[in-house]
Amino acid sequence: MTEILRTHQITKEFSGVKALRGVDFTLNSREGLALIGENGAGKSTLVKIISGVYSAGNFGGKISIEGTEVEFSGTKDASEKGISIIHQELNLFPELTVGENIFLNHLPLKSFGRVDYLKINNDAQLLLDQLGVEFLATDKVTDLNTGNQQMVEIAKAISTNAKILILDEPTSSLTTKEIQNLFKVIKKLQENGLSFVYISHKLDEVFELCQAVTILRDGESVYSNQLSNIDQNTIITHMVGRELSDLYPPRMINSTPLEDRTPVFEVENWSAYKLSEHRERVSKVNFKAFRGEILGISGLMGAGRTDLLLSLFGSSNYQASGQIKIDGSPVKISKPEEAINNGLGLVTEDRKGNGLHLDFSISDNICMASLDSYTKNGLLDNNKKLLVVSELVKKLLIKIPSTDHAVKTLSGGNQQKVAIAKWLATKPKILFLDEPTRGIDIGAKFEIYSLLNQLVKENVCVIIVSSELPELLGMCDRVIVMREGQFASHLQGSQITETNIMSAAVGVQ
Amino acid sequence: MNSNILSQKKSSSSAPDQERGGFDFKKYSTIMALIILFIFLAIMTEGGFLDARNFTNLTRQISVNAILAVGMTMVILTAGIDLSVGSVVALSGVVAGLLQVNMGLAGMGVSGTILSILACVATGFLCGTINGGLIAVFKIPPFVITLGMMVIARGLALIISDSSAISPMSPSFKWLAKGFMSTELTILLLAGVLAFWVKSLIARFKEGKRSTSALFFAFLLEAICISFPAYAFISDRGLPLPTLSLIVIAGLGIFVLRKLPFGRYIFAIGGNEEAAALSGVPVTKIKWATYALIGTLAGVCGVILTARLNSATPTEGNLMELDAIAAVVIGGTSLMGGLGTITGSIIGAFLIGTLNNGMDLLDINSNYQMVIKGLIIIFAVWSDARTKQKAKA
Repeated sequence: MTEILRTHQITKEFSGVKALRGVDFTLNSREGLALIGENGAGKSTLVKIISGVYSAGNFGGKISIEGTEVEFSGTKDASEKGISIIHQELNLFPELTVGENIFLNHLPLKSFGRVDYLKINNDAQLLLDQLGVEFLATDKVTDLNTGNQQMVEIAKAISTNAKILILDEPTSSLTTKEIQNLFKVIKKLQENGLSFVYISHKLDEVFELCQAVTILRDGESVYSNQLSNIDQNTIITHMVGRELSDLYPPRMINSTPLEDRTPVFEVENWSAYKLSEHRERVSKVNFKAFRGEILGISGLMGAGRTDLLLSLFGSSNYQASGQIKIDGSPVKISKPEEAINNGLGLVTEDRKGNGLHLDFSISDNICMASLDSYTKNGLLDNNKKLLVVSELVKKLLIKIPSTDHAVKTLSGGNQQKVAIAKWLATKPKILFLDEPTRGIDIGAKFEIYSLLNQLVKENVCVIIVSSELPELLGMCDRVIVMREGQFASHLQGSQITETNIMSAAVGVQ
Repeated sequence: MNSNILSQKKSSSSAPDQERGGFDFKKYSTIMALIILFIFLAIMTEGGFLDARNFTNLTRQISVNAILAVGMTMVILTAGIDLSVGSVVALSGVVAGLLQVNMGLAGMGVSGTILSILACVATGFLCGTINGGLIAVFKIPPFVITLGMMVIARGLALIISDSSAISPMSPSFKWLAKGFMSTELTILLLAGVLAFWVKSLIARFKEGKRSTSALFFAFLLEAICISFPAYAFISDRGLPLPTLSLIVIAGLGIFVLRKLPFGRYIFAIGGNEEAAALSGVPVTKIKWATYALIGTLAGVCGVILTARLNSATPTEGNLMELDAIAAVVIGGTSLMGGLGTITGSIIGAFLIGTLNNGMDLLDINSNYQMVIKGLIIIFAVWSDARTKQKAKA
């Protein structure tokens, strides 16, 4: 095998903090290399260096392509050398067509500087056909589902004749079926000569797709091997530097039958109409949840899981109808303030969009939902605030230099912990978590799972929405499966299996 | 409020200098610009600019824009804007004028004056409440609503005044702008300000976030900003009443933003409105209240301006909203919301006001004044944006 991309002792500092301490990896031609590492192990920084976001001279070490040393002065340089990157978050313009999105950076022109739409659409369609997708170059991106939008990103990446594709957690918002499609496309591209670096937290995906692995820990490459020689446990051991006997911490399951327990949270005939989409996303849903349990809500993307949580929480984006009972008595929740006053908490799916104030400090974020409780005679008492913040930072093992730092400087896992801390500060009776471990590494996941178990012990009712089936299997007492805004199935105990969940989610009996 | 658990352990006042931050150039850049402008004008006028009486009058003139800037800071912190304040100042001034002159309140002495003040402030409050209601409840962009109110209020001012200036005001009404707080009370107030300052000095030294030399330089700048006005007010006739209103309003504003949940919510809304709403921040109420507040402050400015000019003119306050916005932006508040300070906005207002006053003193043609002012606003925002970009890189 011939090597196509190699890094030698890459180092990078951010104002005195070493993000990378020496990373070596080799990507061979036509190979899929998995780049794996915990929160803050330096994966994103490394990707930014390889793709030219940090230009030559701003970091230490060498990069070579096909044996020749290269220096990038910007992302354009990297892309000319055949390196294309697909970022974790989609970077598309929803109101433009697929073709326009693909060629936006190098629009073909006709006379008088007019855009050559014929060429755009033809070329784009060729690329799309190559990927074997069903939508057209003339479709608007906003009309596509997330999986297909991801395909547009791939088309965009290979439109520059990329030899090396870097995929930074491309599946974090895709459904299982979309992931399978994506893998099919990547494998096909690989057969046609593409090499790729695949960054993911999902080990089963890595084993399915990649041939080699390099593991980063604390900014260093600590292990490289062919995947055929090793198993998942080897990877986990090297990632965390310790044995992780089990991905999910064990806990006591409440053995009292449901019929004999009083529900803390009851929802009857709940329907929610999403105002911005002019359609009903949740229709006539009924369920009960109990103290000291974890209730999982599963379903495909767009099944209405997030809509259910947001509407129950009183989000103004929904018009909802139905009945909510807390501790047996009916309550009216028409805005989030009322939800909070009734003991509800909601860790949202989208940390950046509606979960956190990224530019604000960690302590401001943690106090955001409970600010009124830090007052003395109506005035804010900073000591009180600080006490709660430091206690939560300790409890959640949030790794930060100081609580004054802006949340955006933290890694995904620590951001998520801050988002959870914000709600723990309100001392909720019922805590909703929407995709609680999305885009964070195994170590942080384990810590969050342990925390959820701790909450259950403290008799909190935890309701989680998750797209990761193992997570539901490993964590939940019960799982409700949603399909097209309705409840498709209710699973309990040994009924909770991947097959049962999936078949209910897709509507197979 | 800036202390924290982890760095508290390692950062005591005994930490070596190189471990602590240097001088916060960004924070003090506007103050330094202001001081440089003062020195420049002092040289150009051979010291005349630094005359105590000139400075006292200057603060009186600036107070209107600075008071509006306090309200505008809060509005802009929520990522909003209020374009109507100039017109609302005119409308509320005309209401006061009508009451004073046409309704004969001028003949009723102090009680007439109090009634006029109340009506004037109430007019501003009403306009602000209408703005806020439409913006917060019906979710219409503030730019559009306040643009509408800007035109409506101006039109109403012209209608009810029959397009002409109304004068004269009663002596007690005029006193609101021309009067002074006695020198003794001024000294007392300044002593209070001094006490607050010393308290903050001690706090910053204890915190040990910045090196001793950086702190010293900052204190020097702050000392100039406190001692020169103190000297001017005491050696002249005391504190002008409009300046007193400014100090009280600014003090209250800073207190609200720092110490009340209401103030923190203003920041939260500007930082990320959706996240704030889902964290239980009463977004509608808070937004509504900020517009009502700036409207009320516009009413206060209507009183001060009408009293100062001894006349209520329906065309007064033209483009005043832009001066207030410029002051806020020069003061470092982000137009995207969520970031900024009232102190910065007041310094911004002083920068603009000093520039106006200085160019008048230097006899610069008023048409050129506009061009210079515009250039300086652009320069200020550009250099601010540049430092921010540098900080990011």
